Amino acid sequence: MTVQADPRSEARAFTGQSLRRHDGDDYVAGRIAYTDDLTLPGTTHVVLVRSEVPHARISVDTDVALARPGVLMVATGRDLAEHVGPIPNAMDPAPTGGQALELRVLPNDKVVYVGQPLAAVVAETMQDALEAAALVKVSYEPLPHVLEAEDALADDAPLLYESWGSNVMLAGTAGHGDVEDLDTRSAGVVRGTLRTGRGAPAPMEPRVYVADWSTRSRRLTWYGTTQAPHPLRHSIAQFLGLRERDVHVVAPPVGGSFGFKNFGHPEEYLVCVLSRLLGRPVKWVEDRASTLRYGARDSRIHYTASFDADGRVTAVSCDLLANHGAASATGAFGMAFAGSLAMPSGYDVAHFRCDWRVVVTNKGPWSPLRPFGKEAGALLMETVMDAVARETGLDPLEVRRRNWVKADQFPFVTATGLELDSGDYEGLLDKALTVLDYENVRREQELARQEGRYIGIGIGFEVLPEGADIPGALIGASDISTVRMDPSGDVTVLTGVTSPGNGNDTAIIQIVADRLGVPMDAVSIVQGDTDLCPFGFGNVSSRGILTGGGSAALAAEDVAAKLRGVAAGMLGCESPDRIVLHDGLASVVGEPERALPVAAVAHALYTVGYIVAPDVEPTLEATRTFKMGNIRHHADEEGRIMPFSTFSNGIYLSVVEVDIETGIVDLKRHVMVHDCGVMINPRFVTGQFTGGVVQGIGAALTEEVLHAGDGSQASSGFKTYLLPRANDVPAFEIQHQVTPSPFTPLGTKGAGEGGVACTMASLLNAVNDALSPLGAKVEELPAVPHRVLEAIRGVGR
Amino acid sequence: MTGTEPVEGTTIRLNLTVDGQDRSAAVDSRSLLVEALRDGFGVTAPKVGCATGDCGACTSRVDGLITKTCMRLAVSAEGSQVVTTQGLAEDGELSFVQEAFWSEQAFQCGYCLPGMIFAATELLARDPDPTDDDIRWALSGNLCRCTGYEAIVAAVRTAAARQREHLQRD
Repeated sequence: MTVQADPRSEARAFTGQSLRRHDGDDYVAGRIAYTDDLTLPGTTHVVLVRSEVPHARISVDTDVALARPGVLMVATGRDLAEHVGPIPNAMDPAPTGGQALELRVLPNDKVVYVGQPLAAVVAETMQDALEAAALVKVSYEPLPHVLEAEDALADDAPLLYESWGSNVMLAGTAGHGDVEDLDTRSAGVVRGTLRTGRGAPAPMEPRVYVADWSTRSRRLTWYGTTQAPHPLRHSIAQFLGLRERDVHVVAPPVGGSFGFKNFGHPEEYLVCVLSRLLGRPVKWVEDRASTLRYGARDSRIHYTASFDADGRVTAVSCDLLANHGAASATGAFGMAFAGSLAMPSGYDVAHFRCDWRVVVTNKGPWSPLRPFGKEAGALLMETVMDAVARETGLDPLEVRRRNWVKADQFPFVTATGLELDSGDYEGLLDKALTVLDYENVRREQELARQEGRYIGIGIGFEVLPEGADIPGALIGASDISTVRMDPSGDVTVLTGVTSPGNGNDTAIIQIVADRLGVPMDAVSIVQGDTDLCPFGFGNVSSRGILTGGGSAALAAEDVAAKLRGVAAGMLGCESPDRIVLHDGLASVVGEPERALPVAAVAHALYTVGYIVAPDVEPTLEATRTFKMGNIRHHADEEGRIMPFSTFSNGIYLSVVEVDIETGIVDLKRHVMVHDCGVMINPRFVTGQFTGGVVQGIGAALTEEVLHAGDGSQASSGFKTYLLPRANDVPAFEIQHQVTPSPFTPLGTKGAGEGGVACTMASLLNAVNDALSPLGAKVEELPAVPHRVLEAIRGVGR
Repeated sequence: MTGTEPVEGTTIRLNLTVDGQDRSAAVDSRSLLVEALRDGFGVTAPKVGCATGDCGACTSRVDGLITKTCMRLAVSAEGSQVVTTQGLAEDGELSFVQEAFWSEQAFQCGYCLPGMIFAATELLARDPDPTDDDIRWALSGNLCRCTGYEAIVAAVRTAAARQREHLQRD
């Protein structure tokens, strides 16, 4: 009997192992060069002159600044409009009925938020540029401004973009079904409002962009903090009117992104036009106050939900109003759309409708921010579930059990048209309850209440649509990888996905090394260079391993098949299927003594191919694409598309204590159970979730960008925008569940956006559970002390 | 603030010992120490995350004390001994703390590492067996946006254990 090599079991030495980062020694020893660590000869420096008012017509006098020593150029919007058009939109609201966005790198005649760049000073040194920038004279003709979304909808509201005729950028409806007259046909109805304050991505590394127009090669090389080198290249070429091949984008390692470093920011394009005009490298380094001008969330949801006598939610309708701040070309408005699609989360709700609107105001623009608006789905539905529990007297866990999609219902089409691939939500809860003794904690809560202490237990459940492919945009659910083996047996992976610190570069090496049977250190990976790497969509929508890992696996398998064929010939084995690649060796299955080093097989193919493999094409290189198969862009009968490919999920149980004298919320325990399918490197996955959790804790308890009535931004640094610190958060209690995706070659699901949404939901619910004996309820996050105290004082008013 | 020598205009010459090497560079007299290190000396291990002393990404050891180098003017450091995370690895060998940060996956983007690594190193120099609360407190002057701190705390615990083993052996 012939023993067949099992290609799946032969080579899984690394997949599933929590290996350390392949280049971690360079990180801890300070040897990694980020964009700001690179210096090109002859670099000039940009300092931006920023608006001091929220809304005004402007005229700019640059004469004095231009005369300063070292100053090379002072550019206004009007100057640059002679050379370049608007910034290409990363996503465009117009095709779906929204407004036409024509945003400039610098405004021609009007500013719409405090801090908006309105002129650029380019000088030999940063100090020269700073001095000159202070001498640019700006005359403001102030216009009335508006900061809140509700106010921006008023008939007499000042318009940011007069040609729109209103401040609504885009509006839409998600869901279907009958949500009218809920009171008359239900056992009960719950109503309420949820608000989320303005959060900010705030990666530790601000943005840095360098453009280098070569007057010799007539090509532009761009270095910078970007998640998406290839889409950015396309966009820069379009902006400058160059052939795409004449733009070279290089993305060095980035110091955190979280969506902020996707493309569409004005300065990305500004440095390009300045460099082209000057014929010298132009560098712009952002300061912290600028990073914090980019926000997200800042939304309000009015909701009505009905339930039957068994506590099953029968219908939900809601109205989501999103305050986008000023318009942006980053496609950030998509967060409202994604948030509406993420409803009604993993619940089987027959009748659901979300009407959403994105409104512009005189705050800084929205930026894409993990988890791209989808927290709205978790916040809405977890609030509804707790409300139904209160109304029915059922335990909140039981209400969820009665309402969520059961394991045998997958694939399940939600009310908003998403086809949830797989899951076991009951299993998540069971795992959480092995960690947290729920009954006991409830008893402790009761005892604490008797002592006048306010303990709360909160539940948060999330289902995250990830792996997006957005029609008409360079955001796709496919990627390309090349795998190449040299005559020495060394392997290079070239991929279009990027790795902003999450470790997916190491995980891709694990995937490839396994398939080729070579050690980890035989494999290197090249990313973030559009001249070297195949086209890719970068790092968005949690798809680095889905599509980057998937395509690398396919390409590695092609090279492995070639190696097996050559090795079979060299080892006198009749069938390549009987060759296993493992531990650096190609051997005949079951006969370990019949073996050759993989490197020797590679070398032989390159050097004595006509002898050892005369019929084999002598290439040890493959380029493959992996495309998610479950995306659907043709609308169904109800006009719905299916733009997401995987649906990782999680459930969190939080225990908090609220000090009702100070309003301070103390997070005591945070139990996290996640299911993102197969994990290539569990520790990297855990790191994504713990990071997401702390961003969620910030969003729920401390982080809020505040504006004064005059439009100035009160939160401009880390003393006024409070990220959680190590001593603000407890040790987490973490469990994983693995329900493989049936649609990905490795069974993986997205893992990059988990933890934020269900932490926000579990903390909101925990705070309100703690306050329930007082009859008080917080309806706005973050639950900062003054908001908690207002909720307590508001009772009985 | 002695011995700084004006070169031209606002430019001065600054002398430092950086990671064991005696160096001299022309820097703008208005520079923060971190700017002088990065732009004048080409020493890029310390990063600029906020320039207001809140995040810790610019941390280095200056004359034996861990220092947020955005909180000092360059001229005030004339003649100082500066050690960065790059120089913390003695003879190219990673320190216990650096090794543990790598093995415990205690960083993602890596931007916060200067602050975290020096804070952990200083803690372990005065307390070889800190509790988790001690560790969190010691790290609290630094911000990390990626990890959620969990793995950083684990790395400091691991480094402490390694350091204790090492001391017992000697």
